[in-house]
This record gives sequence, structure tokens and C-alpha cells, in this order.
Amino acid sequence: MIVFLQSLMSGVLIGGVYALIGIGLTIIFGVMRVINFAHGDILMIGMYLTYFLFSVFGIDPFLSVAICIPVMFAFGALTQKFFINRMLGALPQNQILLTIGLGLIMSNTIMLLFTSDYKILTTSYSSGSVDLAGISVSQPLAISFFITAAITAALYWFLMKTDIGQAIRATAQDREAAQLMGINVRWTSILAFGIGSALAGTAGALISPTYYIFPQVGSAFTLKAFVITVLGGMGSIVGATLGGIIIGVTESMSAVYISSGWKEVVVYVLFLLVLLFKPSGLMGTSRM
Amino acid sequence: MRNKVLLLLFTLVVALSSLALAAPVKIGFINSITGPEAPIGENLTNGVTMAVEDLKKKGIDVQLMKEDDTGKPQISMSAMEKLAQDGVAGVVGPYTSACANAVAQQAMKYKVPQLVPAAAKEDITRQGFTWVYRLNAPAHNYAQALMDAAFNLGQPKSIAFIYESTDFGTSVSAAGKDYAAKKGLKIVADEAYQKGSPDYRSTLAKIKAQNPDLVFMVSYVADAILLMRQSREMGLAPQAFLGGGAGFDTAQFESEKDISNAVFSVTQWTPDMGTPGAPEFYERYNKQFGKKPTYHAACAYQAMMIMGETAAKAGGDREKVSQILDTGTWTGIMGEVKFEDYEGFTNQNKHMMPVIQYQNGKAETVFCPGKVCKVKPIYPFPGWK
Repeated sequence: MIVFLQSLMSGVLIGGVYALIGIGLTIIFGVMRVINFAHGDILMIGMYLTYFLFSVFGIDPFLSVAICIPVMFAFGALTQKFFINRMLGALPQNQILLTIGLGLIMSNTIMLLFTSDYKILTTSYSSGSVDLAGISVSQPLAISFFITAAITAALYWFLMKTDIGQAIRATAQDREAAQLMGINVRWTSILAFGIGSALAGTAGALISPTYYIFPQVGSAFTLKAFVITVLGGMGSIVGATLGGIIIGVTESMSAVYISSGWKEVVVYVLFLLVLLFKPSGLMGTSRM
Repeated sequence: MRNKVLLLLFTLVVALSSLALAAPVKIGFINSITGPEAPIGENLTNGVTMAVEDLKKKGIDVQLMKEDDTGKPQISMSAMEKLAQDGVAGVVGPYTSACANAVAQQAMKYKVPQLVPAAAKEDITRQGFTWVYRLNAPAHNYAQALMDAAFNLGQPKSIAFIYESTDFGTSVSAAGKDYAAKKGLKIVADEAYQKGSPDYRSTLAKIKAQNPDLVFMVSYVADAILLMRQSREMGLAPQAFLGGGAGFDTAQFESEKDISNAVFSVTQWTPDMGTPGAPEFYERYNKQFGKKPTYHAACAYQAMMIMGETAAKAGGDREKVSQILDTGTWTGIMGEVKFEDYEGFTNQNKHMMPVIQYQNGKAETVFCPGKVCKVKPIYPFPGWK
């Protein structure tokens, strides 16, 4: 029973961070219908930013989220303005090639700057844990889970209650209609890509105290983000949150009850089953 | 007296003429220079660089042909093809087990002597490949050396295995499982994992529930730190943590004082293992590259020295290189090297591995092959602070 609760707990905690990665991808897709294959690389840049701030200025990885969000927002917004925007009407395969190319440029630039060595952030709480009725709760994961929850809640409020948020949702629902209603869709797209990048970067910052950092780390997360968003339903924030947690728990449970070597298989079988019975994903109406 | 002078003159003439005749020998070196294995690959490159310098001092001019395999077997194979066509006398490398094994087939096909410096997969020298030589100890020795150390110190009864599902991870732990069964250890967990996963907590929780006396882990670079961090989180505390080389044998792991303390690991080489020239090699490397040499560096150095000397002696002829490698004996920083056929292995050096233990952020050699070490091991594991 302890083992069950333990793996449920770590699954949920890690799933929270997965959710954050998925939400970023889903917002970008929702607004622009562009599948961002550079998402993992943007996350990787967030990791290196955190690493840089920690090793040079001694800023705690969790505090650096406050710096990471605006910097990565600006990075994403500029990327959108100068590169992605030009391709909005183009064929989907061209958009995919563009984002893959951008991702390669990002990871290779980082490799030039920081070499391909693995970097590990060591903080006082890196291997700390709290005992909760026999279940040990990883300190860094718990903190990052709370930050994730707070950010998701704030984002939800922003999209539901503010005018700009409504504009983003309107663009996601119907780009042309939104434009006819007087919404500046170009600007909305820049905003959406900025938010998506900021979320990926934040996820990178949150993972870095418990994971290791290297220039090619992004590809694994791009794939994961893709699975999460498709599972939850492309364009749905609630779906991405759900998808992230489902993937986290599935990985963790299958590692215990099947085998650690099979956990990826279980995740993809689940993914296929969901697509088979509900092709648009769990929350799939492609609306936010 | 007259005879002696004549003899001296004669040797001088021979030496001079051989020096004058010595055209550079072409030697191939396949390594992971970029890609995920690059941080370790760099050590091999440095070791080879030092060997080429030392060979030059001995009057052997090596024309080194470096090839980057990026850690991918298919690329290492085309590198070997290219080197074979370029007329190298022999090849040192590649680093990873998967690449070294792929290249071994090519070595047979093109009849090029291949000297594997640091890849542990058993099969590499177990397929009867007469052109393939290996300097380092194969995978089963990792597990054997570690378990023997544990039996030496206590009476462990059960063991849990957790290892990455790569060639290296599975072959080291498969050998470990065989040896454990032979020694009457009960295997309570057998967990292969996909490398690069951020979360091993559930696997470790499962292992903890089994309460094993020994926990045996095999992983490359950074996963080792992750595994130990999460073991600490989970409060997993067996009698001993046994780390099967690679990721458990890096400066980075050593520096993580909180999680590395009292962890055993096995390695191919340490400066304190009592082999001739080892401390000097350590000093020189440290000065030249500004960091400590890993065993990969020492293996690559020794492998290149052997290949360089042999190739020069054979005048670059592949057939002759292979003959000299078959019969020769070398003594250096890796101890005595001799390529032998035994227990199904061909051209395998019977290398004895030292066991190390991390004590307060420092790797200490606690079991030296055939000698008594200065530092005493800590056993059992003192628990987490």
C-alpha cells in the first residue's frame, strides 16, 4: 500500500511539471495551429537560463522563475514575430520544418556556449524529502508542483476573465471571425507564442534542480509534450493539465507494477487507446 | 672492451637508421567526440593525445586519424570503413560498447587490428574475432569485483539490480545476476530503466519495499547522480550501494558529497592502484588538461601506446601488427597487459580492477588488485544524514 501511495504521489508531482509543458504547447497550437517542435528546446533554454543564474549569480532555481517568465516570454514573442509569423498561412509541413530548424539552432547554439557537458544543479534541497505518513515527498518536486498549480490557476483566470485572454480564446476558436470582430490576431499570436515559451521555460527552470541539463535534453520533452497535448485534446488547457498528470501517474505506476523498462510502452499504449476511442483527445473540441 | 664498443656502435647505427627510416605510422582513433557520450569521450581524446606525445619521444611518429562516431554504431561503422581504406595500421576505439561491438565486425571484414580501450560489453571479445583486442576488463568483472568486495566485508544475503537498458547496463548486470546466483545471493529486484527519465522514485520505492542487503546500479553519467539523490529522498539504505563504473566513476559524482558518501564503485584504473607510472600519469594529465584523469583516459593512453609501438615495430603492416599483439606483453599504467584466449574470450587482457569508495567527497581506492590499499573501506552503509 505504501509503495502504491508512494508511486501515486511521485507520479502526480512529476505530472504537474509535464502539464506545464503541455499547456504551453497547447496554447500555441490553439491560437496558431502551428505544432511547435522547438518546444523542448525552448524548455532547454529555460534550464540553461536557470543554470546560468544559479552558477553565476547564485539565484535559487525556484526564485529564478520570476526572471525566467519575462525573459522567455520576450524570447518566444520575438521568435514568433520574426520567424513563425511569416509562416502562418503556409503548409503545415513547412511550419513543422521551420520549428524543427529553430530547435536545432537553439540546441546547437547552447552547445557552442556551454559545451555538451552534463550540468547538474546542486542545491541544499536537491535530494531533500519530507516524510508524510510513511510516504516520502520530494522537496524540490513538491515546491515545483505548487508553483505549477499557481501558474496554471493564474493562466486560467487570465484566459477566462481578462479582455486579452478572451481575445486569445476568440482567435483560437475562429481566427477569421476574431479578426472581423476587430481583434488584432497578429498581436494575439505573438502573445500566445510568448506565453507558450514562458511556460516551457518555467517548466525547464522547475525541472532543473531535480534533473540534469544538456543541450539535447529538449527532444525528449518535445515528444512528451506532444503526447500530453494530443492525449488531452489539442488546444485544451484542462486537457493538457489532465494529460500531464495522467502520463506522470502512468509512468510511475507502470514502473512499479510492470517494470521500469516498460513504462514508456505503457504510456504509448494508453495514448493509442485514447486516440482509438476518442480521436480528438480527452477534452478534445480544440477550443480553450 | 673492443667488442663492447663495436656492439655499442652497432646498436647506435641500428637505432639511428631505424629512426631515420621511421615514416609516420597511420593509426585510426574512433571516439565519441560529440553527442551525448562526448563528456567521457573527451577523456579518451586527452589520453590519446598524451600517448602520441610519448610515442614521439620514443621516436615513433604517429599520424593520428581521428573519427567522431557521435555515439552511434552506424556512424562508427562508416568511420571504420573509411579508416580501413585510408590504410591505417590499426584502430583504437570506439568508446561505447554499442559502437565498439559494431566496429568489431568491420575489423574482421577489413582485417584491421582493433584495440578496444574501455568498452565493457562481453560479446566484443567473445565472438572469436581474431582482429579484435581489448585492454579493459569486460562487464562480468565489474560485478564480480564489487560483489567480492561486499563478501569480503560482510554477509549480504540479497541484492537488487537497477540498470539502464543499454548494451553496457544490461551486460554488466546480466553478468552480475549470474555471479549473484553462483554466490547464493537472492535477487529481489531486477529493474531495467530507460535512460534519461527524470523520475526513478517509484522504482526505488519498489526496491526499498524488498529491503535488499545490496543495491547494484549501472548507469552512464548523470543518471547516477539522479539515482542516488532519489535514493536519499526515498530513504533507501542497504548494507552497501554498488555502482558499476561509468556514471558512478566521474568527478561530478565524486563532488556530490551528500549522496556519494560510502558508495562503492569499480573502475579500470586509479592513480593509487600501484601500477608503474600511474601517479606520474595522474600529475601530468592534471597539469596538461586542468582536470583529473578518469580511467577512460588511462585506458586510451595505454591502448594508443601499445598500438603505436606495435605499429612501428610492424612497419605499419596489419598482419604483423596482429601477430605482435597476439604474443607481446606490455607493462605500464594499466599494469601488465597481455592479450589471451580464455573462457570463451579471444584476445582479452585479463585486467584486474580496483574497487573504490567515496569517502567525504573523495574517491579512495579500497581494494587494489594483488596489493593492500592505504585506505580502509566503510561498511555497512552508515545511513543518510
